[in-house]
Amino acid sequence: MEDEFFGEKCFQYYCAEFIKHSQQIGDGWEWKTAKDCSDGYMCKTEFQIKNGTTPSHLGTPASVHTGFPTEENLELPVDDSEVMESAAASKVIKYEYHVLYSCSYQVPVLYFRASFLDGKPLSLTDIWEGVHECYKTRLLQGPWDTITQQKCQLHHFMAEHHGASCWSESTSELC
Amino acid sequence: MTDDKDVLRDVWFGRIPTCFTLYQDEITEREAEPYYLLLPRVSYLTLVTDKVKKHFQKALRQEDVSEIWFEYEGTPLKWHYPIGLLFDLLASSSALPWNITVHFKSFPEKDLLHCPSKDAVEAHFMSCMKEADALKHKSQVINEMQKKDHKQLWMGLQNDRFDQFWAINRKLMEYPPEENGFRYIPFRIYQKLGLSTLYYPGTMQTKVGLELRERDLPASERYLPAYASPVLGIKTTTERPFIQKLFRPVAADGQLHTLGDLLKEVCPSAITPEDGEKKNQVMIHGIEPMLETPLQWLSEHLSYPDNFLHISIVPQPTD
Repeated sequence: MEDEFFGEKCFQYYCAEFIKHSQQIGDGWEWKTAKDCSDGYMCKTEFQIKNGTTPSHLGTPASVHTGFPTEENLELPVDDSEVMESAAASKVIKYEYHVLYSCSYQVPVLYFRASFLDGKPLSLTDIWEGVHECYKTRLLQGPWDTITQQKCQLHHFMAEHHGASCWSESTSELC
Repeated sequence: MTDDKDVLRDVWFGRIPTCFTLYQDEITEREAEPYYLLLPRVSYLTLVTDKVKKHFQKALRQEDVSEIWFEYEGTPLKWHYPIGLLFDLLASSSALPWNITVHFKSFPEKDLLHCPSKDAVEAHFMSCMKEADALKHKSQVINEMQKKDHKQLWMGLQNDRFDQFWAINRKLMEYPPEENGFRYIPFRIYQKLGLSTLYYPGTMQTKVGLELRERDLPASERYLPAYASPVLGIKTTTERPFIQKLFRPVAADGQLHTLGDLLKEVCPSAITPEDGEKKNQVMIHGIEPMLETPLQWLSEHLSYPDNFLHISIVPQPTD
């Protein structure tokens, strides 16, 4: 049965390839194993200021060579007031992306969660407003068909499986 | 002899007598009497509680009215779980009516999804139906339906119209004559731990958590996520809230798999060993089907409207 569809072993193999490439370009994806079994998923965390730009002191994901932005980095006191003026904690948004294998659909599924630094999640309206212009028309025609709200491990939103390929191509453009 | 189709009606029209009470710390302008309602087992809380909301909002000041949410004995109730599942899992061993507490403040962000509108419920419901059909028919049946058919499924549920719903849903219960059933069975198994004496930080030791009152808890620890609830100890909420795996209704030799076969494979702790004492109840829609029941039959007749079998494993009541 695994031969007919994108089986889980296949998923894990291609994730390994994807992560190798991500490490080469400094894109920040990593593999995490689920606690109680051999399943795993890909994940990435990214920070953005609500107006759509990446906090400049963190650099863009592609330019980070020593590691990608973490919550700990952001919480360290920074003397550079020019940087932090525009990045008040309440306006910096943390995006967490997970790519899991769905045994129901037998395809990878993209989950994402957006929250402020204090942990408060973004509202659905904020999420929809943050969608890239090129996807906005389709989203606004059927917002509930494009992104589904689901209670996942980290209380995520899930991109509808038939659209997952669009969303995951360039996750930074989602914001 | 009961016709199998009668089972579909019995499932659809199942009701739970419920008493809604406003949380004592909500500030009221006038007295808020409890509100009684028969909740449909197969529906969702935010779909059927408009009257509850209106009733309690009348007692509150306008500025105190925010998103409504519900809780049972300290556990926030997930609106995206069918009502019957919530009851079976959390309250089936308690006396009726089901006592639910109503809140308008301190929305537990970590435990509950927001429900901004009925569209959210519809989207969740349709998402579950699509996933169920992906398992049963590789999504072929649901994808061949027109948008108006999808709408009819939703409107049938929303308006409690059995015939309207099943006029379309029956197509999702069919399978090719050469097969003996669906490709895989859509099911989810939820497990509740037994009550036990627990120490709770900052309070006295409690017996089975029933004496624990929210007033005794430090403010930061009220409305704990269910995984930390000392009262109900629902397992795995932060890890896996339910068990869901690929499982075929028919074995390689053509024999129909039973409910017992499923449990042995994916949740063996739920099954009583031959010489052992029965520790758990395996419950669907408030009843314990025989473990010899074919899973295919259960899927066709005891699924919720979302086409999933939502199965609760709860401790055997001691009395």
